[in-house]
Amino acid sequence: MQINPIVEKDLKIKMRGWKSPLLVTLYLGFLGFLIFTFFFDSMYSTYNYFNPRIMTEAFNVIAAFQLGMIAIITPALTASAISGERERKTLDLLLCTDYSTLKIIIGKVVASIAHVLLLVTASLPIMSTVFLFGGVRISDIIILFVLYLATALMIASFGIFFSTIFKRSAVSMIATYIMIMFLFFGTLIAYIFYYVIVQRITDRAVADVSVWFLFGNPIFGLASIIDTGTSGLSSILNIRSFIGIVTSSRIGHWVINVIFDVIASITLISLSAWKIKPVKRYMFKLRKREHKVRGLRSDFDK
Amino acid sequence: MVIVEDLVKKYGKFLAVDNLCLKIEKGQIYGFVGANGAGKTTTMRIIAGLLKATNGRVIVNGIDINKSPHAFKNTIGYMPDFFGVYDDLKVSEYMNFYAGLYGLDIKRRKKVTDQLLELVNLSDKEDTYVDTLSRGMKQRLCLARSLIHEPDLLILDEPASGLDPRARVEMKEILKELKSMGRTVIISSHILHELSELCTAIGIINNGKMVVSGSVEEIMAKVSHSRRIKVKILGGNMEPAVKCLQEEHEIGSIFAGVDYIEADFCGNGEKLSKILKKLVQNDIPVTSFSETGENLESIFMHLTGEEAKNAN
Repeated sequence: MQINPIVEKDLKIKMRGWKSPLLVTLYLGFLGFLIFTFFFDSMYSTYNYFNPRIMTEAFNVIAAFQLGMIAIITPALTASAISGERERKTLDLLLCTDYSTLKIIIGKVVASIAHVLLLVTASLPIMSTVFLFGGVRISDIIILFVLYLATALMIASFGIFFSTIFKRSAVSMIATYIMIMFLFFGTLIAYIFYYVIVQRITDRAVADVSVWFLFGNPIFGLASIIDTGTSGLSSILNIRSFIGIVTSSRIGHWVINVIFDVIASITLISLSAWKIKPVKRYMFKLRKREHKVRGLRSDFDK
Repeated sequence: MVIVEDLVKKYGKFLAVDNLCLKIEKGQIYGFVGANGAGKTTTMRIIAGLLKATNGRVIVNGIDINKSPHAFKNTIGYMPDFFGVYDDLKVSEYMNFYAGLYGLDIKRRKKVTDQLLELVNLSDKEDTYVDTLSRGMKQRLCLARSLIHEPDLLILDEPASGLDPRARVEMKEILKELKSMGRTVIISSHILHELSELCTAIGIINNGKMVVSGSVEEIMAKVSHSRRIKVKILGGNMEPAVKCLQEEHEIGSIFAGVDYIEADFCGNGEKLSKILKKLVQNDIPVTSFSETGENLESIFMHLTGEEAKNAN
């Protein structure tokens, strides 16, 4: 099987030189420092004993930090994917080949999220230190990784989509960040407004109300995975109790979030591929034309 | 064979290409000539499948782009007037990347890349980063890239633009090589004398319309009613000679240089000798009086000038 040449080329360019290894080193160094801080804090606390619960706290913080990192880095890597090719005047050279625009877009998305996923994958050993003390299952880490993958895919798809619409990379990057802000915080604020209005005015139990507009919010997915305690940073992430989302649902909220991400990504990737296609086929127009021809033929037959 | 039928391209109300028709036989080198904004690049981009025509169709070797775009693109090699390169790639990696996009298997890629780099004289630059190449080398690399899938038709938009004289000569040699290989090529350039040397047919486009198309000889025959004369004068005082020529009905536009005058002339040999006699009788120190041969440049100026007059 042949690797997508776009992925091969983009990864080669990105991984060449000292920048990528340095980025991975700094990132892992930071995460290691974070874990060490938790250890240190627990060991020298006033109680004079090591609290294993602190490792679960550390895991939660790192999980939230990585999600934030995906939200910040992915647009920077993807929002210039197509507009950058246009600015560099290499897009025409790609489009004049018989390689399909869908494969070009998929190649760009994969190459972009591969870099983010490298950071996440490289952090797995650090995250696994939590197993020494318990409180987190391997399945939690796998689910978390699936959520990261889906979130990175969705953000990358938004980035690529905007980079096909806007000619300038800076504009597409701003548009992508605005979209991410809306997904992460806009939907949450909208829900709080909704919560206040429904609760105060109609007196209906909010827990029964579907929270469909939070489906696209990765914080909503993350909150359902991590063990939200009552202390420290993790309590901030305990949005389930904060916003009163139905917890009796059989499907985990992260599943809904991942499904949303995948559907949004497929839609955005398809639209992007269609957008950069130089010679587009409009089914509606063709049908209209066919109708016209058929009409003319039937007139002629009469 | 390339057939372009009633090609129209509109950008809003602006008509960039106006009912353009073209027929290029296999193995022909077709020169596309026109002023900036005449519609050359638009037409070439439509033929390359990079732009949708408002109307009309393009068929290359029996394949219509609207019916089978993938098969169509496989028959086309395109080199744009302005293009970029991926700076962090080596020359061989650059070629390998495009070979991959055209679906060449890994074993064949190396062989084809070696052959093409040899054709464009870049064999010794295989491991050099693309960003360190000179402009001329980048142009040649882009030409090699456009040939990687062995296209039936090669479209070269201003391949010699921005090149120094040496690089231009090198590019010309490569194009001659392609000509000898029997490739079908559409080439646009502003360097008209180079085109006339290379091309087997020429098309002159103005304001999106094809003004004239055919072999250089055919076009010359079409415009032969107008000739150009060149008069060299000693001393550099052009004024009396220009006045003298302006009095003649057969003389059209006049251009006065430092020590010579060029003028359009419509008439026979007898009239021409009378004009020479008149100049001498008026004590104008003529050192040379000759008819300049028609070349592509003068044909282009003549035809596009006429179009502009008609438009006004």
